This record gives sequence, C-alpha cells and structure tokens, in this order.
Amino acid sequence: MTATTAAARTLTDHAAPIEPAAYVELLMNITRREVKGRYSQSLFGIGWAIAQPLAMMAVFTLVFARLANILSDVPYPIFAYAGLVPWFFFLNSVTSGTMSLVQYRNIVTKTYFPREIIPLAQVCSRLLDLAAAATLVALLMAYYRIGLTRWALLVPALFVLLIAFTSAVTLLTSAVNVFYRDVSPVVQIGLQLWLYVTPIAYPLSKVPPQFRGWIAANPLTGVIEGLRSAVVYGREPDWPLLTLSAVLTMTALAGSFVVFKQLDRYFADVI
Amino acid sequence: MSSDAIAIRLDRVSKQYRAGRSRTIVDVVASAVDRARGRDETVYSAARGRVDATVSALRDVSFDVAEGSGLGIIGANGAGKTTLLKLISRVTWPTSGRVLVAGRVVSLIELGAGFHPELTGRENVYLGAGLFGLTRREVDRRFDDIVQFAEVERLIDMPMKRYSSGLYARLGFSVAVFSNPDIVLVDEVLAVGDASFRRRALESLRRLIAEGKTVLFISHDMWNVRRLCDRIVWMDEGRVRASGAAAEIAEQYMEQVNLRALANQQNVLQSHRGGTGEVRYTDVEIVDRSGRPTAIVPDGGPLTIRASYDASVPIAAPVFQAAIVDVDTGLVVSTATSSRIDVPPIVEGRGVVECIFEPLLLRRRQYVVRMTIADAQRLVSYDVVNAGPRFAVARGAGSAEVACSDHGDEDGFVALPFRFEHRARVLSS
Repeated sequence: MTATTAAARTLTDHAAPIEPAAYVELLMNITRREVKGRYSQSLFGIGWAIAQPLAMMAVFTLVFARLANILSDVPYPIFAYAGLVPWFFFLNSVTSGTMSLVQYRNIVTKTYFPREIIPLAQVCSRLLDLAAAATLVALLMAYYRIGLTRWALLVPALFVLLIAFTSAVTLLTSAVNVFYRDVSPVVQIGLQLWLYVTPIAYPLSKVPPQFRGWIAANPLTGVIEGLRSAVVYGREPDWPLLTLSAVLTMTALAGSFVVFKQLDRYFADVI
Repeated sequence: MSSDAIAIRLDRVSKQYRAGRSRTIVDVVASAVDRARGRDETVYSAARGRVDATVSALRDVSFDVAEGSGLGIIGANGAGKTTLLKLISRVTWPTSGRVLVAGRVVSLIELGAGFHPELTGRENVYLGAGLFGLTRREVDRRFDDIVQFAEVERLIDMPMKRYSSGLYARLGFSVAVFSNPDIVLVDEVLAVGDASFRRRALESLRRLIAEGKTVLFISHDMWNVRRLCDRIVWMDEGRVRASGAAAEIAEQYMEQVNLRALANQQNVLQSHRGGTGEVRYTDVEIVDRSGRPTAIVPDGGPLTIRASYDASVPIAAPVFQAAIVDVDTGLVVSTATSSRIDVPPIVEGRGVVECIFEPLLLRRRQYVVRMTIADAQRLVSYDVVNAGPRFAVARGAGSAEVACSDHGDEDGFVALPFRFEHRARVLSS
C-alpha cells in the first residue's frame, strides 16, 4: 500500500474531498444533462433564448420609447436589448436554480457529492442561452451601424461579474427553498419588481438623483450599465459604480456560499 | 488485505427526523406567541392537533466495521437500516454522536439514481461516475469494464429512456462497483435484476471484499447476507438488537421473522389464485407433530402440509399436487396424489389431504408451498394456489450437524448427508 492511499484511509468525520478536475467535470456533466433535458423534443430549441429578450424589447420599445423620450444618443431597441440579454440570463438562472435542489431530490437524498454543483449547473446551463442572445446584439449593432471600441474588451470581465452575482442569488434561493417552498413564489414576485429597479428600460442617468443611490446599490446596475457603455456606447464605464457592484457581488457570493454549506447537511432530511 | 484497520466507526449515533407536516408561517407565529406568553409550546400545539414530534430513526448506535470485511445489516422495514447507510455516505448527518469513515464511499441506495433518461448510456456512465467523484480520464479507463459487466454494449449510445428497468439498474450497479471505492454501501438493490445478474453482482461484491474493500450490505435475503458477510448487525426500531457472527445472528433473526410471519398468515391463499373452481382448497397450512399450525420446520422433518378442500360437484379421480418452491429460484420439488392409492375414485364435499415429507432433506432456507388440484389427465386445473403458506427450515431440537456446516458456503436446497475424507498422498517406493 502506498503512502497516499494510507493517508486517504484515516477515519474522519467529514466527507472525503473531491478532486478539482472531477468537480469541474461533474458540473459540466450536470449542465449538459440540464441543457439536453431542456431542448430535447423542442422544435424551436435555443431560439427561445433569443425570442424572450426580443419580445420584451418590442414591448419596451413600444411603451417606454414612445411615452417618454428617454434617449437621443443610441436607438432605443438596441439600448433595451443590450440590457435585457444579461437580465434574462439572471432571471432564468435564478428561476430554475431556485427549484433545482428540489428537482434533483432523487440524487440529493441518495448519494453524497458537493451539492452546490446543482444550482451552479443551472447557472452554467443558461450560459448557452446568454451566448445565443448575445449574438443578436452583434447583428443589431451591425444593423444600426454602431462600431465596437476597445472598451468592448471589458465584456468578459463584466460577464464574470454577472455570473458571480447570479450564482450568489441562486445558491441562496435554492438552499432556502429546500426548507420553505414559499421561496419560489417570493422569488417570482421579487424578480418582477427587480426588473424595474434595474436600469434596463431606462438609463441610470434618467433616474431622479434622490433614488440613484438605491438603484446603484443593486449589483446588477453596475454590470448592466457597464455592459451597455462597453458595447453599445463604446465608452469608458462608470468606474466607481462598477467597483461598488464588484464589491457587493463578491461579498454576496461569499456569504451565500457559506450559508449554502451550513444548510447543506440538512437537505436530505427535509427535502 | 485484511488488517485490524477500522473502515467505519459509529460512536453513539442518534438521528431524529421531524415528523408530520412541516411548519407553516401560522405555526411559526403561533409558537412564537406561545413562547412569549411563557406557555409550554409543545403541549399547546398538541392540544391543537399539531404535534410537532420528532421520530428517532436511530438511537445510540455504536459499532465498528473492519477494513476489508463484509457487514450485513438486517432488520424489519423502518428499523433504521437505510438511515445508517445515509449517515455513512454523508447524505445526511447525525443528530448526535459521530460517524467516522476512512476512504471514499460509494452508496447504492438506489441504482442509477443520478442517471438522466434523455442522456445516452455512455453519457450517463460519465455522469454517474462523476457523482461518485471520478474524473473523465478515470472513467475512460474503466468504461469498457463497466459496459461489459452491465451487458449493455448494444444500447450504450441510446438514450436511457429506452432501457428496461433491469438494464437501468445493471448499469447503475456496474458504474458504482467499477468506480474504485474504499467502501461500498448496498441497500437492497439486488432485488431488481434477473437471477444471473444478481449472482454476478454478488460475486463482484465478494471480489471487492477480497481486494480489501469494505462492503455494507442491507438485504432481507439471509442467504445472500450470509454468503457475503462474516458479521451481521440486526437493527430493531433504531437500535442494535444483536450483532455478531453472521450465521448466528441470521438464525436468530429468521426465527423471529418466521414467528411474526406466522402471526400474520391470514388469507395468503387469496393472492395469485387460479383454476376453474369445481373444487377449491379452503385452507392450506403447515402443521407440526401435534397438528398445530407452524411456520418453522426443524431440519430433518417432518414437514406436514395440510390442505382442506371443498368440491361443489362430484369430481372423478382428482389429483392433489403439493410443491415446495424457493422464492428466488423456483421449484424445489413437486408431488402428486395417486388416484389408486391416496384418494377415493370420486370426491365430493369437504375433505382434507396431507402431504408429509419425512425425512425432510431440505437446507435451512425459506420456502413457499404451492398447491394445485388437477383432473386425472392433468388437462384441467380446478384450483391453483401459487402463494401458499411460507415456511422456514430451521435448526431442530435434536438435529445434528448432518449436512449443513455454518459457514453459509453451501448452495442449493437438498440436505444430502455428506462427508469429506482427506488423505495425504502416499508416495509408493
């Protein structure tokens, strides 16, 4: 017997850790399982990922752009669509992520593995939708003849921030939903309101100054404003706003991961 | 590799679950109000019919499992067997006490629990093995073995929703066994596959033990438990009722189970009933020497099957048949009356036939009696009782160790007297 196996076989009262490679592969496998389940026997398939923000863009264009002349600098449809793409990524991830542990109760109650992989796989599975919806941004940009600037290089970092904040919310709601199924309807209502306190249909600059601080405290504000200035406006983002968003996001992610791991050991008992 | 090393240690482990419906916001508010008023919350809730009681699944359970050994866990439903496995596999955590485990655990609480029906068998192998902590490269290396063992080569690239439940289970078992665990937890999952798969599954578990792995095995089949495990823990209402050498505990357990089965043996004849009905058995029972119903027959016999019948019309030369069946593998022996010797040429109304086996050359296992009544040509079955009474052959009062050693090594049903003789080879010079 080699030294390594001997070391692995000492009595412990915690679960044996899983190799990082195995962790990532399991995350990818569950993501794949999720994506396949979602799009098998669906005629339109990934097209729905584009249809969703596109339909909302149409509504926003009809309602907001006509009622109050919000913008003059860029065409309203691309302004709205560029905000709706990250929003729907967030919305869909949180919505399906909240129910994910309950849906996977068969695995959760029967075998041990790092449970956070299940809600995280929901987030990962929405990356495909995000990519599909984002390609239409490129087409719209071409249509409106808007060119990219070097600030577009910020997009990957902004996506990382978006994914991190989405994961933070999803981890928390999925874990609490195991104990109280009320979480799911609460999340539904919360997300509906959240859409309007995030500068998606309107720019942050049009928010009355007395509310601006509150809107900025929403971590999605920095991300969405940042994405829009990097891609649609092609200019430097609002750095203080973005920094605030990054700090809040990382705090939320750390906090929600700790809470998740605390609740983890009771999942199988109450699910 | 058997050593003194401990693979699993349970130290005064208790586990409680909250029973009944979960609390709603009304309950939470109500109990907060109660607390604020200083009333006894639980009593008050009980008065409103909202008992928020906890159920103890395990109470103060302690035992060690040596590395490289097989431990059987037996007991009635609800005794806490599955909870034990869930604690050891870290699916859940004890309310008090400590569960110590050395090495990687693979639990087979349900075969193929992680599989997804939309994915192909191949994808599910990687998914399932990933849940057990394997990397893709590790699965690559074992892939052919997994598929070969499960015998699903032909279907491996088909979605698993096209698989039969047996195939599903086979692939699930195969993935677990080949995922190189240190400890394997098996919960009654071998009940699904066919007989040949079950045999191979058992063999693979035995091989794991021989390789120094530790296997915990929950089963109601004492025969399999004894073949796989050298020790048994008998769980009863969350406590360890007995533990020790497999043969001894299994015997104690069977005796208790058979006594209980006897107490519940009403209307067994009603299930799986067939036949045209001109004459029917009204009662079939196993009786002891003094004619009292029993479920335990001493080895060596006698075994007396007493069957009462009622013929609504005159029946010419009926043939009464009694058979002893092994639940797992089928017919052990069948017998029939002869119209010339045992039964009058015409039968009408009520009567009793007894079939007596003495000596009873059956090994100590559980059997089922199957009874039929056929016409003389055996073309028509008047009555078919497929699920007659169960009985167990157990160690009798004065029964010597004739043909059954206690190692659980013997297979088959027939207790033929045997002995081995051994001589050292003498070289002639």
